[in-house]
Amino acid sequence: MRLALLREILANLARKPATLKYPVAREVTVAPGFRGKHYADLVKCIGCSLCAVDCPANAITMEKLPQPLKQNQRGIFPVVDYGKCVFCYQCVFVCPVKAYIVTEVFEMADHVIGTSRDISLSTIKGGGSA
Amino acid sequence: MVIVEIPIGPQHPALHEPIMLKVRTEGEEVVEVSVNTGYNHRGIEKLLEKNSWVRGMYISGRVCGICNAVHMQTYVQGVEKLMGVEPPPRANYIRTLVMELERIHSHMLVAAVMAEIIGFDTLFMLLMRDRERVMYLKELVTGNRVHADIHMLGGVKRDLDEVRRDRILSELKIVEERIKYYMKVFEEDYTIMKRLSEVGVIRKSEALRLSIVGPTLRASGIKSDVRSDDPYAAYSEIPFNVVSRDEGDSWARMMVRFGEALESVSIARYTVEKLPQGPAIPKTIPRATKPGEVISRVEAPRGELLYHIVSVGGANPYRVKIRTPSFLNILNTEKVYIGHRLADVPVIFASYDPCISCTERVMVIDEKSGKKTYVSMRDLARVRVG
Ligand code: SF4
Ligand code: SF4
Repeated sequence: MRLALLREILANLARKPATLKYPVAREVTVAPGFRGKHYADLVKCIGCSLCAVDCPANAITMEKLPQPLKQNQRGIFPVVDYGKCVFCYQCVFVCPVKAYIVTEVFEMADHVIGTSRDISLSTIKGGGSA
Repeated sequence: MVIVEIPIGPQHPALHEPIMLKVRTEGEEVVEVSVNTGYNHRGIEKLLEKNSWVRGMYISGRVCGICNAVHMQTYVQGVEKLMGVEPPPRANYIRTLVMELERIHSHMLVAAVMAEIIGFDTLFMLLMRDRERVMYLKELVTGNRVHADIHMLGGVKRDLDEVRRDRILSELKIVEERIKYYMKVFEEDYTIMKRLSEVGVIRKSEALRLSIVGPTLRASGIKSDVRSDDPYAAYSEIPFNVVSRDEGDSWARMMVRFGEALESVSIARYTVEKLPQGPAIPKTIPRATKPGEVISRVEAPRGELLYHIVSVGGANPYRVKIRTPSFLNILNTEKVYIGHRLADVPVIFASYDPCISCTERVMVIDEKSGKKTYVSMRDLARVRVG
């Protein structure tokens, strides 16, 4: 019994630590397909509000578009409050036109309340990044 | 000798859960324990009534972090029954895979917690390190290491591709070896045996009388498992053994969990290898239920989890009653501590694999003559049992 443990301990002497020195060293990786920061692509969004209706955390509010968009007759777009969002991706799933752009970004702690407003609006001009 | 009352919790280094054990001791010997709860009530059942069927999925998943997929499964399979929807076989296999990964990491966690409580911190670190592999697999399949959120009414939200399947199989091989190794450590280590064996014995008849569930029940020699007694998801098609032991002590409970974790590895492997073809993701989300009620139960890592869902046909549930395994396992076992040493109390408590966040959903406030009296969960449990 003790031999088994002793072998484990000896093997660990040669190993590098399993814990990561976060945030000093940013070597934290997530699995591909991780549910991270997401925002609506306003070129696709039709303003149907389905995502806001289904969001279990009430994290999505529909706001007025600053300019008219052809496919979006209602003139509203979803803004995700990342502080409220639980990253369940119900909004991504329910969207009838697959308007949400998903990323694997998970580092969102900030001193100001982060929303998807600016990043979503930047998609109008073909922009938009994580 | 004088009797001393020692409160353990609600915040205490030896208990990882917000609960208070009022321990009365005579010298080192425990003469009485009363369990005090109520530190983690969040009103989830009410919240479910106030939200739509779809939102309810995610709310039920958030009853507990560790057991989120089983909570969602219980809710979703109940609602699917009310809606007359049948998930496709592929979706059932993926659900089963996620639930079994959850069982593996849950059982590894309680083994680690137990190691830490008895002062074996190295083992705690090693177990937590290897548990991370399972967490990664869960993240790979579902998109998050804790909250799976993969269930959807009528299927799952995400399919499983070939690359992921290969990765799961190769990781499961390592996980299996590690679990076998830790099982051996728990079996052979002198210190662990000294601390766990013959501690907190629950006899077979007592386990039945107290309505104990899950690994705690199976460690008392009763082979009862919802997965085999009342199969759900894909369990009717998957071969597996129900692990049980006869000793009934804290050690037996840990060994049952290790045995189950190994079974879970083989179930997970089976689901990945024999994954049926066909669709898994529903095209539309069903939203309307017929009036009626349904009882839905699954085997959570801690035992039988039961949802009673009532629908009157509207957009929201009329009532969702949740009965969780820890509720029975913690509140009904106060007598088990008696006669043991004070230092055994955390060991016995941890051996039930307690989960407070799922236990505390009810708080009755009795407003008599304008005065509020709080009825504790324990009293409620007494009323129910007595
Ligand atoms: S991921 Fe879930 S919680 Fe977040 S905005 Fe979408 S629906 Fe709401
Ligand atoms: S569901 Fe899709 S299309 Fe509808 S408002 Fe949300 S992002 Fe826009």
